[in-house]
Amino acid sequence: MGEYFMVVLLDDHRMAKIRGTGLEEHIKYMFGGELRLLEVKVTEELKDRILQEFETARVDSRGAITDVPVAFMRELFNQVVEKKSLGPEVVEAVLEKIDEIKKAAEKESEYLPPPEIEEE
Amino acid sequence: MSRFLIQRPLPHGGRLVERVVTDKEAAKKMIKGCPSYDIKPTLHYETGVPVRNVYREIMSICYGFFSPVEGSMKQAEVERILKERRLLNEWIFPYPLVFDISEEDYKQLGVGPGDRLVLNLKGKPFAILDIEEVWRIDNPEELAHLTFGTPERNPEVVREPFNKKHPGWVIYRSLQPVVLAGKYTIINEPKFRPPFDRFWYPPRKSREEFERRGWRTVINHQTRNVPHVGHEFLMKCAAFTGDVEPCHGILVNAVIGVKRRGDYPDEAIVEGHEAVNKGGYIKPERHLPTIVLWDMRYGNPLESLLHGIIRQNMGCTHHMFGRDHAAVGEYYDKWATQILWTKGIPSYGFPAPPTDVPYGLDIRPQNMREFSYCPTCKEMAYSETCGHKREKLSGSFLRGMVAEGVQPPTIIMRPEVYKVIVKWWKHFGYPFCNEKYVINKEKELEVDLEDL
Repeated sequence: MGEYFMVVLLDDHRMAKIRGTGLEEHIKYMFGGELRLLEVKVTEELKDRILQEFETARVDSRGAITDVPVAFMRELFNQVVEKKSLGPEVVEAVLEKIDEIKKAAEKESEYLPPPEIEEE
Repeated sequence: MSRFLIQRPLPHGGRLVERVVTDKEAAKKMIKGCPSYDIKPTLHYETGVPVRNVYREIMSICYGFFSPVEGSMKQAEVERILKERRLLNEWIFPYPLVFDISEEDYKQLGVGPGDRLVLNLKGKPFAILDIEEVWRIDNPEELAHLTFGTPERNPEVVREPFNKKHPGWVIYRSLQPVVLAGKYTIINEPKFRPPFDRFWYPPRKSREEFERRGWRTVINHQTRNVPHVGHEFLMKCAAFTGDVEPCHGILVNAVIGVKRRGDYPDEAIVEGHEAVNKGGYIKPERHLPTIVLWDMRYGNPLESLLHGIIRQNMGCTHHMFGRDHAAVGEYYDKWATQILWTKGIPSYGFPAPPTDVPYGLDIRPQNMREFSYCPTCKEMAYSETCGHKREKLSGSFLRGMVAEGVQPPTIIMRPEVYKVIVKWWKHFGYPFCNEKYVINKEKELEVDLEDL
């Protein structure tokens, strides 16, 4: 049985939300500390369910589950904050909202709100 | 002069094919009284989604990117390509290229060898096809398999049988049964829409541009992606090959054609590469982003052969090849392209590399491995020289970050490049190609035509 995980990226907005939850000590850094992230554990069974529910989902060479809808990733972060945990119960809670996520994912294929950044 | 200096190679086949009539009056006379046909996209044999538009092949042939090919191929030529990857005039070439139509259209047209057919694009005369032969594709599935190979016939590099999940295989499987073979001539030059217009450097123009810039040696970077810093380092470091000094120029040549869902939009790809030089990460004097029209076949080693031909025709002296070059899925060995250019693939007709067979290529391969971030060196590092554990740059990881609206750190994507992605995200309402983009693109194409 392999070990799987999902990456939750942390920008400044998300950092503010996890402050004081005790999760800060689990933050991992990549690319010289320029990228902050949390890794949520995923069991074999949950991995299979995610791959079954979302045809775009895949497992990369590191065991990370990627290419799920953005709505899934947003809910994943919400559940991390709510449960103050990085255990498999987080993904379980996300999957309880699967219908809602799939509905949002359908709209996502037509439109995704762009970030408000300054253009040239 | 040093005997080690490398000169710009001649076009593949010895001369550049240029079949474009620019005199409108002459063009009008050429098509007077000829039957005409509206170019139709090739539709997926099962889903009906556009998978190819032959106009892109006509453009690439007539402007010389595919020299010495001059038109839609005769049956004997296609058979030779499938057997030996050679044209009837001996020069190596990887793929069959044909003008295919349905039996109904053929009956309605009532044309045959010796006839001139006017090909319309977007309702305007675009090109002519001087028909020399009419032949039929009896079994498109067999043609598709013969084009790409099988694990049994090509055990050196083919790992899985090709099927409908492979976009190139689908193109050949979806061809119509009647082939009109003969030379193409463009009689009404299409105008590229922005932003593509400023990246259009067909072989004559690119060669003139290299001359103007004083570039003796030029290395090509093949792309169908928005550049991240790994690509940037690949370009900068591969360019150190050259002859007695590093390559004078880096040519980025983006393949523009039918898109798949999840790809970045072509507009973001070309402007993203331009942003690399505008931002000074590779100075503009040494870097030139350009385009070529082609609906990718994703044939890994075979595709690399076509890329070598295109870029030699454009005047490049070197071509960089990486892992999984122009590949999709796991049909080929990850290093199939480098195997071809290092020792050849006998089952495809190459007992030696394409540079070492008669009527082969002169462009030099520069086989590269990967760049990724090393937290110990605190910089982008080359897989074959850095001895530390590195952080891999995965395209899907980056796409996920972009989709979530998180700006990638500068060390993996330059802010100027990210701004380009967001610019086109705002334009299309989506950061990647979705169904709407794919359908609109094949309707609008990259060009417009004026009245003749």
